[in-house]
Amino acid sequence: MVEKKKTTTKKTETKKQDTKKVAPVKQEGKKQAKAAAGSTTEQKARVGVFICHCGTNIAGSMDLTAVEAYAKTIPNVAYVDNYKYMCSMPGQAVINKAINDNKLTGVVVAACSPRLHEPTFRTATKEGGLNPFRFEMANIREQNSWVHMHDQEGSTDKAKDAIRIAVAKAALLQDLFPKAVPVEKAAMVVGAGVAGMQAALDLSAAGIKTYLVESDASIGGRMSQLDKTFPTLDCSQCILTPKMVDVGREPLIELFTWSEVHEVEGYIGNFDVTIRKKARGVISMAEGEARGIVGGGCNGCGDCEGVCPVVKPNEFEMGMKPRKAIYINHPQVVPLLYTIDFNSCVKCGLCVTICGEKKAIDLEAKDEFVKVKVGTAILATGYELFPIEKKAEWGYKKFENVITGLEFERLICASGPTGGHLVRPSDGQTPKKVGFVLCAGSRDNTGIGKPYCSRFCCMYSLKHAHQIIEKIPGCTPYLFYMDIRSFGKAYEEFYYRIQDEGAKFIRGRVANILEDPKTKSLHVMTDDTLLNRPIDLEMDLVVLASAVQPSADTNRTRKLFGVSCSMDGWLLEAHPKLNPCGTTTAGVFLAGVCQGPKDIPDTVASAEGAASAASIPIHKGEVELEPYFATCIAEKCAGCGMCVNLCPYSALALVKKDGRTVMEVTEAKCKGCGTCGGFCPGGAIWMNHFATPQIVAQIDAFLLGGEQ
Amino acid sequence: MARTKGYPAALDKKLQDTKFYLDDSNPEFTKNVKAISRTTAHMCYQCGTCTGSCPSAPRSSYRIRLFMRRAVLGLENEALTDPDLWLCTTCYSCADRCPRDIIPTDVIMSMRNLAFKRDIIPVNFLKTVQAIYSSGHGVPNNDVNRAAREKLGLTRDPPTTHMYPEYIKGIQKILDHYKLKANADRIVKEREG
Repeated sequence: MVEKKKTTTKKTETKKQDTKKVAPVKQEGKKQAKAAAGSTTEQKARVGVFICHCGTNIAGSMDLTAVEAYAKTIPNVAYVDNYKYMCSMPGQAVINKAINDNKLTGVVVAACSPRLHEPTFRTATKEGGLNPFRFEMANIREQNSWVHMHDQEGSTDKAKDAIRIAVAKAALLQDLFPKAVPVEKAAMVVGAGVAGMQAALDLSAAGIKTYLVESDASIGGRMSQLDKTFPTLDCSQCILTPKMVDVGREPLIELFTWSEVHEVEGYIGNFDVTIRKKARGVISMAEGEARGIVGGGCNGCGDCEGVCPVVKPNEFEMGMKPRKAIYINHPQVVPLLYTIDFNSCVKCGLCVTICGEKKAIDLEAKDEFVKVKVGTAILATGYELFPIEKKAEWGYKKFENVITGLEFERLICASGPTGGHLVRPSDGQTPKKVGFVLCAGSRDNTGIGKPYCSRFCCMYSLKHAHQIIEKIPGCTPYLFYMDIRSFGKAYEEFYYRIQDEGAKFIRGRVANILEDPKTKSLHVMTDDTLLNRPIDLEMDLVVLASAVQPSADTNRTRKLFGVSCSMDGWLLEAHPKLNPCGTTTAGVFLAGVCQGPKDIPDTVASAEGAASAASIPIHKGEVELEPYFATCIAEKCAGCGMCVNLCPYSALALVKKDGRTVMEVTEAKCKGCGTCGGFCPGGAIWMNHFATPQIVAQIDAFLLGGEQ
Repeated sequence: MARTKGYPAALDKKLQDTKFYLDDSNPEFTKNVKAISRTTAHMCYQCGTCTGSCPSAPRSSYRIRLFMRRAVLGLENEALTDPDLWLCTTCYSCADRCPRDIIPTDVIMSMRNLAFKRDIIPVNFLKTVQAIYSSGHGVPNNDVNRAAREKLGLTRDPPTTHMYPEYIKGIQKILDHYKLKANADRIVKEREG
């Protein structure tokens, strides 16, 4: 180990000399950094190190006295102090005072993750009179004390390393000045389920022009498919349609149904979004007017549907009702505008003929692309059911009388395929015993199902139980459950009510279901774990409370906006507790189930949160971009243009300058990812705040080891 | 007579303290079961899928979920001395369906191994050991089978140690290495004299 250190020291020494030679040359290429570079070379670096105890979070796992004593020996360190909570007001005052008393040129705080408190300490550095970018954080909590809780010696050594590395960078930090860019006074919401609609209504109520993009032919999402909602038992459509109508009526909301986000360019404040309006084959009345057809465009009369000869299963009714090739999802659709399913349309032209003078139908319609500019965007892409037939033991799609919760919703709904009469798909008979399989595909670690709790299945199954008790006299619901998770407001009371109404609860996950081939009844096999007896109950109908997963197009859409997702596909929030609506892409927010399973109250709350967050930059009117952009050192640039193609943000271009071809950066587009800087064969790209000399100094500091 | 004699004993049993105390639990047992079974035995959340899938449960007092619970809580004595431990048919239906991806059958097998270390084992299992030692088969061929095989156009004996008895020696060597035969003989002798 010692030997290794010695050899690396030799190498790094030569490297160090290199960087010393190189650094000033690089800095000449930069207008802004020039003054700062001057100050670092003229004035010797004086770094202050501030060590945070974080109560016992850090102090409990390492010897901070030793860390502090060591910090004093690091080159360029002019001042060392510690405090119980560095982020507190008195803690920040310590930094402020020390900067002034000791004429510091850089500040290192050894504490938590920069994701948590970098903004706090940048402000403290600024208040002390330094440029806020002369601050560097050493993470000795998340990446040290929390993970090495039982290794006092190791964590102490690691903290020393982290501080030494941070000081090395802090000594070379420069003044940087964030750029302010104006924010477009418009927002986009992707997905018009209850989350997207709520977000759009809130944004428009705040005076913001909102583009609402929905891939389906009408708005309303999953909630419009539901019959009733727990625990209040309001009719879902009754509480949703007023919102749908409001969305359709609101002048500040521009609705794009049967449309998708096709391309996204730009950054917070200035997203250029291309919307693909899928070929619909039917024009609205507004479009009709625009085309000069007097009284033309679709008025929703439905004559076309009457003559269309093509019959297909209606997806909105979970395939349990037929629709034509030209169709609307249900009678209350917003917008009331027909859509042609071009995958099944035979282009017979009967609809065109009957539509007549309205000229609403265009069988040769093509996709159209519309470009809009928005300041912020909200993703509300929702969910779909996990394909529960993958769990073969429950026989979905194999046994006729095994259905999903969403199919149950349509069967029990008065506007559904059976007019609200719950029947067995096999024979149309009214069931007398209905089994509900909870956690169907949820809480499943086999790799087939989903490891998470889908969160609303317990409650909707309770609601289903209530509905059959109410509608079918003498029908008994049996709920096969592992745990009833009735966590929300008035949910546990709802559980009490349903048990009181006569629902039977059997604590056992269903092992398998067998069908009686003659009667098509189902034998539900499980263990009554409370009775400690295996059971075989014969049911007329079984409802699987299937797990949920992100909707099919979520992954494509999130990539367009640069949003990450977790392993199971749910979109990743900036912080699970303190920033659940934000994402790591500035200006992009999350609403509803796309971030993780939520019931309706939580979905609406999350949508209102996202709308509020998305309106802040718009109301401020401008946003500061972190000045981490790349700059080209023109003297060294050979104009090869390799970087231009590599840049993921199209921020680079080749330009003529003084008779030479060199690269130029559009600073507002650059995100400072460093792809170009790392690749440039001539070392001609200077990455602000992550400049080569700064990073080399950090590597040197690490390799030089503990004692110098 | 039998009734009056038996009654107090049964009553005693009914009135005994059945509480679960921390002393009943041996955390090492959970670890050993995990190590031998090579499955995440401590992760059971008692959903009942295993017992619901079990072909033995509806026909016997065997409850695999109960053994999983004992594995989680480290109830070593209770698990190893329960005669139900030997009622698993090792069909692996529970392993196919366990949502926590545990292999309950292997948990049972590990408990049987631990029980055998304490000489807890039914004699019929030991007789199987003796049969394997002498013939290479747990269920050796018999005349009924031979006749059936002949009818199906097969050889009277299968191409195993029955057809090639010279290989029995190899099997015996393996069993001897683990002292399985010696232990089986010893325990059978103790039980049956």
